[in-house]
Amino acid sequence: MKIFICDGTCDSFFSAVFDAYFQTDCIITSDSEVQLALDSQIVKVETDLEKSRRIQRGIQRYDVEGVPDVVSVLRSCDGLKEQIAFEYIKLVFERKAAIKKAYNLPQVIEFNDILYKVTGETHRMKGFLRFMESSSGALYAPYSPDNDITDLLMPHFAERFASEKFVIHDLKRKLAGMYDGHSWVIAHVGEAEVYLSEYEKTFETLWKCYYNAVNIKSRPHEKQMKGYMPVRYWKFLPEKN
Amino acid sequence: MLDANKLEILTESAKYDVSCSSSGSNRVNRGGGLGNGSVGGLCHSFTPDGRCISLLKILMSNECIYDCEYCPNRKSADVPRARVTPDEICELVINFYRRNYIEGLFLSSAVFENPNRTMELLCETVIKLRKVYNFNGYIHLKGIPHADETLVFKAARLVDRMSYNIELPSEKSLKMLAPQKTKQSLLLPMKNLRDAITYDKENKVRQNRVLPAGQTTQMIIGASPETDGQILQLTESLYRNMGLKRVYYSSYIPVVQSNKLPAVGAGLLREHRLYQADWLIRYYGFDVAEIVGEGENLSYEYDPKCAWALRNMHLFPVEVNTAPLATLLRVPGIGAKSAYKIIEARKFSKLDFDNLAKMRIVLKRAKHFITCGGKFYGSESLSQVQTALLLDGKNEVTEQLSMFSNSTVALSALTGEV
Repeated sequence: MKIFICDGTCDSFFSAVFDAYFQTDCIITSDSEVQLALDSQIVKVETDLEKSRRIQRGIQRYDVEGVPDVVSVLRSCDGLKEQIAFEYIKLVFERKAAIKKAYNLPQVIEFNDILYKVTGETHRMKGFLRFMESSSGALYAPYSPDNDITDLLMPHFAERFASEKFVIHDLKRKLAGMYDGHSWVIAHVGEAEVYLSEYEKTFETLWKCYYNAVNIKSRPHEKQMKGYMPVRYWKFLPEKN
Repeated sequence: MLDANKLEILTESAKYDVSCSSSGSNRVNRGGGLGNGSVGGLCHSFTPDGRCISLLKILMSNECIYDCEYCPNRKSADVPRARVTPDEICELVINFYRRNYIEGLFLSSAVFENPNRTMELLCETVIKLRKVYNFNGYIHLKGIPHADETLVFKAARLVDRMSYNIELPSEKSLKMLAPQKTKQSLLLPMKNLRDAITYDKENKVRQNRVLPAGQTTQMIIGASPETDGQILQLTESLYRNMGLKRVYYSSYIPVVQSNKLPAVGAGLLREHRLYQADWLIRYYGFDVAEIVGEGENLSYEYDPKCAWALRNMHLFPVEVNTAPLATLLRVPGIGAKSAYKIIEARKFSKLDFDNLAKMRIVLKRAKHFITCGGKFYGSESLSQVQTALLLDGKNEVTEQLSMFSNSTVALSALTGEV
């Protein structure tokens, strides 16, 4: 069995799809510590932009949402994401049609599950992300999402906070989305030192006060709270600390 | 700046208002301002009672000239009172919003001095937020009954949603428990706003549209003797004639001692069943008359869709591979999402039971009402089906019961999906 190892970028993945397409027995992964079977043969994928473009054009012919969907799936933290996306793409080519809504096919179910986790976390973070105000007035939001979604969040906040300056910092991946009041970029940022504005503590305290007061104590339902707002996200929520 | 003590008093006073949705408005962030609308709504936090926080829900004042029997802020109540200024509210909203704590403001107030004075200050707050602070986030404003119509319309062109709470499900109960509010003072502004919304829609008004996210209302359940049938008939007419986006039910909690009020609360199950019926009316194509008779209450044992299906067993089973959407939506256990998935998936291939299970369509209840490719896996006799659904229902009550949830609830539904 051939194991195609790509470097985690989209172009590398699509190149791997091109190379692996006619292989009968192979997997694609970006995990370099993949478990090797006895007969496995490692192939290091060389990124080829032309191959990547051809695969993307091919998908687009049958499904306009196909490429963005695959790109979203590739942001997932799931170790099988490349393989699942590969199976999905093979099915698109085999059927020569958009298959996103073939909800009963196993490849589509697996693909949509991962896609839903990525888009679902993006939606949640639009609500759960917390900014603090620095002494310069710029806003800073540290977080550590399950999936690599920082650049999916940037357009939402760039529109909403159009005249602010802000940074969204993924501590797990050491990535930061930075908006300067006009446009945004993503950059590698290890650690950030933030000096908070003198009002920060006051508003954080008011927010905690509001959070406690708005709760109806005679109707406890912790299970539901945790269902909608998983405990792993609490670390960055002032109201839960 | 607002102090924590005032914030606490005015939040405590506002929290029994159920509505917290921030959906339905696609207001854009103009002129380098702050904020925009999010059509699907966004939840920013959840409290230990399981409810979502989307908006900063606060009263401008809890000093009330009215003496509504059920209300913790009524004139004769001995509670701490507070009032804040429009600027204090604006400052809090802006600073909470910039930190992404909230999606916007839900502003309400007790009636202080007189209805017009109250509405004036609410109006002033809204104008300041929009024009001075350049805030384009979501605003839900409570309408003050008996306030001047020009004030109401001034506000309605700036906010996203307004609500006049009808408080109680009949005029008689309103007279008894909230004698200073009249049916007319609640319904007339609702009607006028409805007409203005319709006018703007028909004439494709773009700038300063009246209430882009429409109107909602709320009523207290179990403080007065109306049946579920009467309540739901009122609900249906509010949706169909008044064009409301949502009707909220708040099960009565005895926070106030009064001989005109029952000593025990209505219980969450009743509220839950009403929400289920409400969903059937809005998303599943049911008429109230099919769900419950005027003088009747909803069944505690079965959810309203199951109860309806058990009364109409002659319509089942239906074939999932051919049944139209409207029919699939009436199958117990199949929600709007599942019905949609079935419709799409069956275009690709014929579906069997195994397929449905893989698509995560819950078959526990549905299997008694469907066939897949002609095959039936449910129970044959009505009494067996009844028992099976009853046992299933017991699970549902202990596991799923909550203030707002409903068997079809999705995350977006919590934010009051329109």
